Amino acid sequence: MATSTYLSTPVVTVNSIDLTDQCTGATVNINYDQLSATSFGDASYKYVAGLGSHSIQLDFYASFAASETWATLSTLVGTSTTITVQPVAGSESATNPKMTLTGSFLAALPVVNALGALGTISVTFNGGVYTTDVTPA
Amino acid sequence: MSFFIASEKLGKIGELYTPKAGINVGALLAGGFITERAEVSTTEEEKPAKTKSKKAHKE
Repeated sequence: MATSTYLSTPVVTVNSIDLTDQCTGATVNINYDQLSATSFGDASYKYVAGLGSHSIQLDFYASFAASETWATLSTLVGTSTTITVQPVAGSESATNPKMTLTGSFLAALPVVNALGALGTISVTFNGGVYTTDVTPA
Repeated sequence: MSFFIASEKLGKIGELYTPKAGINVGALLAGGFITERAEVSTTEEEKPAKTKSKKAHKE
């Protein structure tokens, strides 16, 4: 039975600011360098994890109002901060893990303006320490 | 110095804000999400002891 979930009510925070109501997409990439640990006698390659290379891509509407996306993101370009993404609002649990990237760097802030469409800002936070919290606060 | 919440996006306005590890406080200040205030001392400052000024000796 398919158990995929259509996420319509995730919670997204950037630098502690709740930007859920401006967010339309969140992609959490959990990656580790793949280091070969293959040695003589092995019949197949085997690998161990190297450095983590995580990132979170977020898609927002471009709101220039006070305390919204521009106010939050424009002051973070060129610096590091903490990002959290949780599938559903509420306590953390095994079925509602809070994914956190701490010390993640924002290198660019592309603002897309198009005729007849809402402005958007898609940002990618790179690096940082990834943790998953499943313990209720 | 203490930080206080200035935006509902962060919490209840006026409440004391204690940043967690990894939070960029400078960006929060620059974005107007928090304000910084010097802590006001609740203890009364001790007044300096009064000293009588000695009259200058007349020569």
